[in-house]
Order: sequence, then C-alpha cells, then structure tokens
Amino acid sequence: MSSNVKLELDKLSNLPGHLIDKILSHLSLRDAVRTSILSSKWRYKWVTLPYLIFDNQSVLVSNQDQTLVKNKLVSIVDHVLLLHTGPIHKFKLSHRDLQGVSDIDRWILFLSRCSVKEFILEIWKGHRYKLPSSIFSYQKLIHLELFNCLLKPPCTFIGFKVLKSLDLQHITMDQGDFEDMISSCPLLERLTLMNFEGFNRLNIRAQNLLFFDVGGAFEDVSFQDTFHLAVVSVGLYENPGGDQNLAFGSTCNLIKFFACLPRVQRLEVQNFFLKHLSAGVIPMKLLAPCVDLSFLSIRINFNNKEENLATLCLLRSSPNLKELEMLTRAEEQGTGRTSADPFENFQSFSFNQLQLVKIVGITGSKKELNFIKFMLSNSPVLERMTVKPASTDGGWELLKELLRFRRASMHAEIIHLDP
Amino acid sequence: MYGLSTAHMLKAYVWLQTSDDSIQQVEQEVAMFCPFICQEIHSGMGSSKNYPISLPSRVNPPMLSLILDYCRFHQVPGRSNKERKSFDEKFVRMDTKRLCELTSAADSLQLKPLVDLTSRALARVIEGKTPEEIREIFHLPDDLTEEEKLEPIKNTMDDPRIRLLNRLYARKRKELKERERLQDAEIEEERSDERSVDDLLSFINGSGEDSKGTRNSKNKKKNRRRKDQHKTAPLNCISTSNGSSSRNADMDKDSYEHNSLSGNSTVHGNLLPNLRYATKLQGVENDRFSPEDEFDDCDLEDDIDPALKEKIDR
Repeated sequence: MSSNVKLELDKLSNLPGHLIDKILSHLSLRDAVRTSILSSKWRYKWVTLPYLIFDNQSVLVSNQDQTLVKNKLVSIVDHVLLLHTGPIHKFKLSHRDLQGVSDIDRWILFLSRCSVKEFILEIWKGHRYKLPSSIFSYQKLIHLELFNCLLKPPCTFIGFKVLKSLDLQHITMDQGDFEDMISSCPLLERLTLMNFEGFNRLNIRAQNLLFFDVGGAFEDVSFQDTFHLAVVSVGLYENPGGDQNLAFGSTCNLIKFFACLPRVQRLEVQNFFLKHLSAGVIPMKLLAPCVDLSFLSIRINFNNKEENLATLCLLRSSPNLKELEMLTRAEEQGTGRTSADPFENFQSFSFNQLQLVKIVGITGSKKELNFIKFMLSNSPVLERMTVKPASTDGGWELLKELLRFRRASMHAEIIHLDP
Repeated sequence: MYGLSTAHMLKAYVWLQTSDDSIQQVEQEVAMFCPFICQEIHSGMGSSKNYPISLPSRVNPPMLSLILDYCRFHQVPGRSNKERKSFDEKFVRMDTKRLCELTSAADSLQLKPLVDLTSRALARVIEGKTPEEIREIFHLPDDLTEEEKLEPIKNTMDDPRIRLLNRLYARKRKELKERERLQDAEIEEERSDERSVDDLLSFINGSGEDSKGTRNSKNKKKNRRRKDQHKTAPLNCISTSNGSSSRNADMDKDSYEHNSLSGNSTVHGNLLPNLRYATKLQGVENDRFSPEDEFDDCDLEDDIDPALKEKIDR
C-alpha cells in the first residue's frame, strides 16, 4: 500500500491533541506509553497525558527481589516524569513494593510545579512516610488521598484553598495540625479518615462538608458549622469502657453529636460508637428532629440498656426514616440485668415512612425480639423486614416468635436469611 | 418526511449547513442537544433556509447523520440508564475510521458525552494489542527507523542481564548500519518487525497483559478500612495476585531475543545459535515461576556470560 493512501486512511493520528489525550487517558499508562513506537507521529503523543497512574500494573515484574522491583519502579517514574510535558492533573502512585523512599520526595517536589489537581499516594509497606513540605504547596489540589503517611505541615502552610475531597488512611498527624488543616480548606466537601494516630479529638469545622466517614480510635467527635453535612459514617474501633469520665447528669453525647447535624440524610453508627453516644443522660427524643434522615444503620448491643435508650431516642427523632439497619455487637452478653426493656413497653410511635428494616446477627434473645416486635407494630408502610441470625442455634424458636408478631403494615414481608 | 403543515405546527426546525455546503432541516429539540448548535440558535441563526447554521468543517453529512441519531435518542428524557447504555454500546460498533471522524465531529460540536463514548471505544480498540496490530487497524505508517525503535529509553541498571541486553542492542545497531550501507536506496515495504521493541521499556511486554489487577488494590484498601489489617502485605502476595504475569519475569528480554532471532536471521550469522540457547533456557525456566528460579537464574547467567561474552567481545 503506498504511503499516500495510508496517509488518507490514517484518521487517528491527525486528531487534535486534546482528543488523543482523552483516548490515551482511558488506557493504562503502560499501553499509553507503548504508543510511542507506533509511528513517527506517535512518538511523543503520550507525553502530554494529564493523568499519570503508577500502580501494580506499571511494573509487571513479579520478581521476588524487592530491591530490583523497587529500582525498576523508581526508574520508570523518573523516566516518565522526565519525558512528560504539560500539566499533570492526576498523579497516583500505589505499588505494593514501594516503600517510603526518598525518591518520592523528589517527585513530589517536581509535581509541585505541575498544577496537580488530584494526588494519590499509597505506601503499602514500611513505616509511615513523612511527606515533604512541598506537597503542602499544591495550591490547585482538589482531591488528596494518602495511605500510610505522616503529615507535618510547615508553619507557612495556608491550607488547600480549593480542596474538595480528602481521604486519609493510616496517617499520623498532630491534633493542632489536623484541626488547622481541616478548617483552612474552605471548599472541603468529602472527608474520610481511617486509622489515625497523633490526635484523638475530632473537631470538624468545615462549612461545606457533605460527606464524612471516620473509623478509628478517638475520644470525641464534634462538628462546627457543618450545616450541609448529609452523609455521616462513624466507627469507633475501641470500646470506650464503662467509665466515660462524664459527670453525673451531664449532657448526653448523643445530643452533642447531633447539635450540628441538622441536615443529615444518611447516618451509620458503627463499631462501638453507639456506646460512646449513649453516655450521659439520654433524653426521650432530640430537641430538633432529624427531618432529613432517611437511612440509619446502627451497630448495637441489645443487652446494653443505655444503647437501647439511645437508639429509641434517635428513632423517635427521625420521623422520615425510610430504611433502618441494625447490626448486633456480640459482646457483654448476659449482664444479668433484667431491667425494663425500653422497647417492650413503648407502643405509641409511628414510623410513617419506614419501608425497609434489616436486622443482622441476632441470637433470638428476648430483647432482640422485643425490638423486632416494636418495629413491626409501629411501621404502617413497612414493605420488607429482613432478619439474619448470627448462627443456626435456636433458629426454630426465632421463627416461631417472628410468626406471632403483629404487623401494622399489610404489605410487610418478613425475610429470614440463613446465617 | 411528513406533510408540511402539521409537522411545522408541532415541531420547530433548524437549518444546518455542513462542510460541503448542503443544507439540512432538523428538528430543533434534537439539534439543541449539541451545545454548539444551541449557542448558534441563541444568537439567532438557523431559523430559516437562508440563514443556516454553519457547522464546523469537521462535520460532514454522514457524521452529522450519526450525531443526530445519537442526539435523537438521548434527548428523550424518559429513558432509563440501562437503555441509554445499551444504545451507546450498539452505537459505537463501527469501523475505527468512522469512530475517529465521529470523535472529531462530536468534539467540534462540543457534544461531550459522545466524545467520551467514542474515545473510550477507541481506547478499547488499542488496549492490549501489539504495535503491529494497532498499525494495521488504524493504518499507521511504520516509519520509525529501526534505530529509533531500538533506542533504549530505560537506563541500564546494575543488572547484568540488562547489560547483556544492551550489548546485544549495540551489536544489532552496528549490524543495521552496515546493512544500510550495503543496500541501495530501495524502499523497504515490509520491515520485518517481529521484534516487539516496546520491550525496551521495562513495564511493557510484547504479549500485552491485561490489567485485571487494578481491582485488587481497591479491594485491599477496603479491607484495611474495615478490618484494620496490618500495613505490610506479605511477600507471597506478589506471586498470587499477579499470577498471570509471573511468567513475565524477564520476559522483556526474552521476547526481544526471541523476535530478533526470527527476523534478520541471515544477518546474525553465528551469533544466532548462542542466543537461541540463551533464550530457550530463559524461556523454559520462566514458565514455572518459583522461588528457586532466582537461584537458577544466577547459575544460568554464569553459563551465558562466558559463552556469549566470548562472541560479543570478539
């Protein structure tokens, strides 16, 4: 085929640069760089790629020699960065053999000149990697994701002015630094925190925050000015213990927690957080009902009276709840207290919007059954209740009881899942 | 189409002029789906045959017809996501030439969703194919000189195997220069290109691995969040999760050698038998990846090096 005809048929190479970038950005970095040997026109088309993702696919050498792999990875990143030209919108570095090497410092410095908008760094192994100060000068950053890093912002740090999304997992940071950083990111909308060290009071002051997900060990979580917060998920990994250092008669943590969450729509109370919330004097219901709350998920220990009370308070304060999920925590069984069960005696409440209820991990104890009975008889529009026991013990008894319960909703289905 | 009277009363039409100066009448609601046309209408163009909207030159009549089909479907508000996805999948089934033209045309009309769709489709075509296949599909001229392809971009490391490889490259280059001097200025239509030179870059290999592994990293993170696992991933994770690529240990070097053998075999002359020996041994042992391979590798190197060293350093 003569070269002239070929030229006419080749529509791909003459597409404008931004379209080629678009096409190449849907390929892995490997495939994108491979295009450099396709033809003379393609030699340097990949170098303007705005997305650079170095992950386990970038170095396909499953050589057991870690130093070799690491060196290869370093070499690849160096070469790509050196050949690259133009802005880099997204940079991701996440390779299992990558440890906190000093090369990363160099790359972060290089990237500080490239108007990076998204930066993701995951150190899979080794100690917490101390981020160099140059990263705190990424003023165009919109999304920051760090795994296994140590953050120590310099005193000249003024915050990330356009940061919208922050994801920090397995990080170490000072209490003061953390609070300053959060409050100096005015556009922050999403915050994820998992497993953090160095601070244990979560004081979240972020006016535009919409989404908040935390899991770790902390003493307290409080919000300030977070009036738009819609999705909240809190997991307290450590048991706060019986003595919660609260003076007798002090305000319940539940009240304090909801003080700044007027618009919350989805709430997940995970691990031991309910126990933390139920410290203090629990009211019958919250002063300001959570009118937007439509999804609620609670990890509860049904044997704990305070937790039951707290749940009841929360349920009574959520008139528009559509979906409820209760997961049981199987510890502190049999406290021996046969105190009055809040759910047993409380009849007059109506969940007018509740459609779905899911209860997981029950053992068929009286308290649990009381709860189910309570839910069934107070949910006039219930469509489905799903029950999943923790084990097959006492399965029949459970089913027998379930059959007996009165249902307020004619359409309600009770689905029993296998454990 | 329909009779003039009723149609005109029910629907508004706009007039569009394509690059070949032909003018078409199109339902306004369909055409408005393209931001470019929308802007033009707002500035008062397109309302009659005398003042049609001049479409960018990249939009020729067949492309316009495709784009309008796309708009006609998607501008209907009631469709489910599933329906739209299904339509999109069928819509992009066309030859790559048209895909390229369509991308370009849609881009000039600022129809972003269609540009995304077509560029993704083009990426899927490129993904995982060898350079030869890609050139074939897109009619790309194979006009990089052998030298340019050979140019090693990667630094040599202190890995003796890499040093060996570079020595072979150097030798090959020398031979190429000789060949050029010997030949006339004939145009070589068919460059024997069995060699996958992309193997120069260490994260590239000729057999085109697919990237299923990306899911692993996300899953791993999710696990960490919920179960609070240890930070260190165990060593043996390496071989299990990337099982398919375990065979690629040093395949970059292997493929090169393999392919360099099949092409230009006449030129290599007596270098050939030794290379074959080397490759075969490398190839065999990399087929079963186990920790012992490391050990074997070292032994093997001792074998190659002296044997080839002799030839190369002649």
